[in-house]
Amino acid sequence: MQTEPRRFPVWLWYALLCVFWWGLWGFFSKIGSVSANPLQLQILFTLGMLPVAFGMLVQMRGRLDHNPGGAAFGMLSGLFTGLGALGYFAALRQQDASVVTPVTGLFPLLTVVLAFIVLRERLNKVQMGGIVLALASIVILSI
Amino acid sequence: MANAGFAILLWGVCGLFMKLGTNRISARSMVIWVTIGFVILVPFMWRMTTLAGLSAGAISAGLIAGGVNGLGNWAIFASLEKGAKASVAIPLTALYPLCTVILATAFLRERPSSLQWLGIALALAGGAMLSYEPPVAPALEERPQCAQ
Repeated sequence: MQTEPRRFPVWLWYALLCVFWWGLWGFFSKIGSVSANPLQLQILFTLGMLPVAFGMLVQMRGRLDHNPGGAAFGMLSGLFTGLGALGYFAALRQQDASVVTPVTGLFPLLTVVLAFIVLRERLNKVQMGGIVLALASIVILSI
Repeated sequence: MANAGFAILLWGVCGLFMKLGTNRISARSMVIWVTIGFVILVPFMWRMTTLAGLSAGAISAGLIAGGVNGLGNWAIFASLEKGAKASVAIPLTALYPLCTVILATAFLRERPSSLQWLGIALALAGGAMLSYEPPVAPALEERPQCAQ
């Protein structure tokens, strides 16, 4: 049976671009954390995100999507990320970072389970193996 | 560890919300709504701390970090918008510490430990496996029905 030639999917380019940008975020956070505490950094991150959001709004010529569901999920994503970070910082006050960071790094596992149940996403065996390796790597790199 | 569990719960659910959001609105709109979500928290954080006394270098690093975080948000939303599964894109992009380690090695002259080298190898292998999609077989051409 003939198969189509394998192409590099567009979504993967964007995912790798995200790894790059968030990797830079980790790098600059590392520099900032020398003298700023986590809460101060969180405020600065938010202020730094504003020009990007404004740039997106200008690109869209002010035509922001107002679909109620989409807007709610978007806002909740921001709120949950920020609140999760506050929980993480609170955990750091009680436990060593070498314990807290690897544990909280396992959050993608919950997303995978939720996507399986809610979105009915199914992974192939190679991808499941990839998740195991990725989680192991996240834990190791955050120690 | 209740606080760590709280973080896992919120970040894990957030991955689902990102996909549900990009199913409904554009990646760029998602960036704006997510930023609004972040902004809502600022007054509460401002009560607990202040930016007074921070060096210009720390403030610049924090602001740049926020900017590139926003661009990363746009990229993950674009990836989900272009059809990435949440169960693939979220674990894949959670490998960003790999990039941070590489940058810290290159610019901050940090040297990865042997354990970190293992983490880097696992991240590369895991990332490659996560992005694996089996080749799609073309649909069989419809054959004319022959009346016999």
